[in-house]
Amino acid sequence: MNALTISTAISSGRVQLVTLRRRSLLMARMRVLLIALLFASVALVAVMRIAFLGLSDRATSFTSLEEALLPPRGEITDRNGVPLARAFPAYALWYNPEALGDPDNPLVKSPREIAAELKTIFPEIDADEVAEKLASGKRGYLRRRVLPEEANRVQEIGELALELPRETERHYPQGSMAAHVLGYVDADGNGHVGMEKVLDERLSDPARRAEPVALSIDTRVQGALEDELRRGMLATNAAGAAGVVLDVDTGEIMALASLPDFDPNAIDAEGAENMYSRVTSEVYELGSTFKPITVAAAIDAGTVRDFGKRYQANQPLKFGRFSIRDSHDLGASLNVPQSLIHSSNIVTGQIADELGAERLRRTMMDLGMNEKPYVELPATGKPIWPGEKWARVRNVTVSYGHGISVTPLHLASAYAALVNGGVWRPSTLHKLDPRDIPKGRRVFKASTSYRMRQLLRLIAIYGTGRNADAEGYRVGGKTGSAEKAVGGRYSRKLLVSTFAAAFPMDKPRYVVVAMLDEPKGTTASSFQRTAAWNAAPIVGRLVPRVGPLLGVMPDDTRDVDISDLRPLLPEANR
Amino acid sequence: MNSIIPAPIARQPWAMLIPLFVLVGFGAMVLYSAGGGSWEPYADSHLIRFGACLAIAAVITLFGRDFVRFATFPAYGIILVMLVGVEAIGAMGGGSQRWLELGFIRIQPSELMKPAIVVALAKFYDTLPPAMIVSWRALIPAGALIAMPMALVLLQPDLGTALAIAFGGAVVMFLAGLPLKWFALGGAGAAAVAPLAYFFALKDYQQRRVTTFLDPENDPLGDGYHIMQSKIAIGSGGITGKGFNNGSQSHLDYLPEPHTDFVFATMAEEWGLLGGILVIVIFGLILRWGMQVARNTEDRFARLLAAGMVATIFFYVAINLLMVMGFAPVVGIPLPFMSHGGSSMLTNMMCIGALMMVNRWNREAPRARFA
Repeated sequence: MNALTISTAISSGRVQLVTLRRRSLLMARMRVLLIALLFASVALVAVMRIAFLGLSDRATSFTSLEEALLPPRGEITDRNGVPLARAFPAYALWYNPEALGDPDNPLVKSPREIAAELKTIFPEIDADEVAEKLASGKRGYLRRRVLPEEANRVQEIGELALELPRETERHYPQGSMAAHVLGYVDADGNGHVGMEKVLDERLSDPARRAEPVALSIDTRVQGALEDELRRGMLATNAAGAAGVVLDVDTGEIMALASLPDFDPNAIDAEGAENMYSRVTSEVYELGSTFKPITVAAAIDAGTVRDFGKRYQANQPLKFGRFSIRDSHDLGASLNVPQSLIHSSNIVTGQIADELGAERLRRTMMDLGMNEKPYVELPATGKPIWPGEKWARVRNVTVSYGHGISVTPLHLASAYAALVNGGVWRPSTLHKLDPRDIPKGRRVFKASTSYRMRQLLRLIAIYGTGRNADAEGYRVGGKTGSAEKAVGGRYSRKLLVSTFAAAFPMDKPRYVVVAMLDEPKGTTASSFQRTAAWNAAPIVGRLVPRVGPLLGVMPDDTRDVDISDLRPLLPEANR
Repeated sequence: MNSIIPAPIARQPWAMLIPLFVLVGFGAMVLYSAGGGSWEPYADSHLIRFGACLAIAAVITLFGRDFVRFATFPAYGIILVMLVGVEAIGAMGGGSQRWLELGFIRIQPSELMKPAIVVALAKFYDTLPPAMIVSWRALIPAGALIAMPMALVLLQPDLGTALAIAFGGAVVMFLAGLPLKWFALGGAGAAAVAPLAYFFALKDYQQRRVTTFLDPENDPLGDGYHIMQSKIAIGSGGITGKGFNNGSQSHLDYLPEPHTDFVFATMAEEWGLLGGILVIVIFGLILRWGMQVARNTEDRFARLLAAGMVATIFFYVAINLLMVMGFAPVVGIPLPFMSHGGSSMLTNMMCIGALMMVNRWNREAPRARFA
């Protein structure tokens, strides 16, 4: 500024010099600024480019060589290491019209010739259809699965357009066995329905998938259970069947089957319909199999002290408009063992009435009857639970297994608690290390549990469970034949027949529950539809098959001591 | 502060030195990883070279203004003679040669020429009267100063270095105040000459680099390989990268030259977007400090010198980054202070030394007030 004011006083040459100096200074600053701008824009471009490269889909997923050598999905085995599900690399036959590099002439030979050659390799294909596909020039699968020797023969045709990409297949070497436990894997590699879904993450985790996962299932037991259930289901023309074998001391499920089943190797519409499991997803009123639970609760509470005490048995119990009766007249009066042997609703109702609703409700809750079953499977059925306050009549109906719907697995866990000394444990499909066995919760006293072993054994020797009394295996159990509720009314025709058992009763190891859904009276069941004639024989045949596999040998010299109760049973002294 | 830290240490330009040390250390980490998780053969020699070049820079810092002015043209001449010597030896030995074997050290005169051309042009414009800046006398001698070494380097052939020399010279000319229209004319001329140069001057492999840069996906396994793999490496790093020593592109040898030209891609794969931004911010700090040094000087020679040095470093950084990101042809220019390689470390540290020297001049003769 000073320069300007002074400038009038000095020569014009000096003025020029000053303005030149000012101008060149300004220009120098402008130019530095331009260079700085250039630098900044390059930096900006660089940052944006890294961000684009780093955040766009170029971010490739990381696969190491080690990972590539692992099976694409972990194996599932049974408790003894027998493979139940394994990854199996397979070939597919894919038509790629661009392989030859000439989209107008994708094939060397004519489509018809190639189709004929393929027909010699795969006799079941339709040559015309394949020729049409080849002629259309559209890429696609010609065949989903090709065996290695077939793949070699396809290569020999010498058409580049016939490609044989390797695909991994989930293979279930045991076929449909344990399908409901395993589930299946879809084309995208995601597990569905069973443990394939539960273990999805574990089985695809590169760090852990080299290790097979062992389930609690024993294939031999599973096979026998499915076989006997299927036989029983077909013999009685039943709509379905369900069964479970449970370790009473650990809660491990040795076998779990629902029929009809599906083949996880080949899912079709029919298979998809059979994917719900009758053991864990569907709830049923399981009927008289609940009576031992009621009696156990009453013994535990001290309301049943005298096994010789007689209860009237031929007058229906009346609660308002409800009256509770038996299927046929069982005599004027029965004692406690007799009531179980003959399965009397009237006597069980009286025992429950003496026990009181709250105490029965508490026992049922301790047995987990108000919650979904404890098992890892994704789709488990929620019980129809009678709620908080039970009316007197509700208490009585629950005592013989009506007005409460649970899954067969609930019943199996409850029976395990009845006979194992009184401790309820959650059931599991994982093979348990001995130190991982849950402590469980005590529901019954050990003495009560001992009494229940005697009573259940009595039913199998003298009562409705005689068809289950496999020679030497000391089976004890209770039948249940409940009318199915259809549209809010009990159907006289449709039954759910259940037999819940445990063996050997002198030292119980396993619970077996077998259930038939809507069995019909056939010659095989002596034209009877009740559990004594259809469900009990299933257990009677199953136990000798699986007992030795599970370490229970037939032994006529051992049994639970029932000598103190036998005098109470006229049937025993006949 | 002053009482604790001795003045000779406190007055060092720490605003530039600390980022520089961080960058060289980070570079050593990346080279450690590129060497397969080992100090040998890259990371240790990188640090040793940096130490040696830092010493050279320290010596340069001590040069006086008059000495530099005096030595500029003789030094330029000597380096030019060395370039001719390289050509002569190359012609005798057959094939291209870029260095002189002096027994105890191998010198690449083309590298020395990069800072030298800047100093020479700064000196030239300093002696030129300001009024003559718009006349042809401002252009022709300067053009000759640039053209001679450029031609010699192109003969080697080393396109990258030739362009670096041209860029350093052009920035000095631009800052010296040559009329803008000359630059516009020059740019237009270059655009016209470029196709001719492409067809007649460039060797086959150089031509391929250019076509590849324009369409790398055209030949992903052949000539486009470098750029494709580099972009995959940067892209696969994502935001935070795969982690130190976990880069598959570099470790599995997908990435070419993971320790020299593509060291940035190696870094970006393992450190991701954050690592990339860190490197760019550090370069920004160093270059900004250099521009401040240039701004703070009242002496025209020193200002042009400093700005030219900044431009030379910037040219390395910019071309290398653009190259590994697929925005520029693969011309073989390493990333300053991070790439493994003695020549580029020496050149860039000489530039840093020159900047510290100008910084010392500024400190000793404080900036005069402008009107």
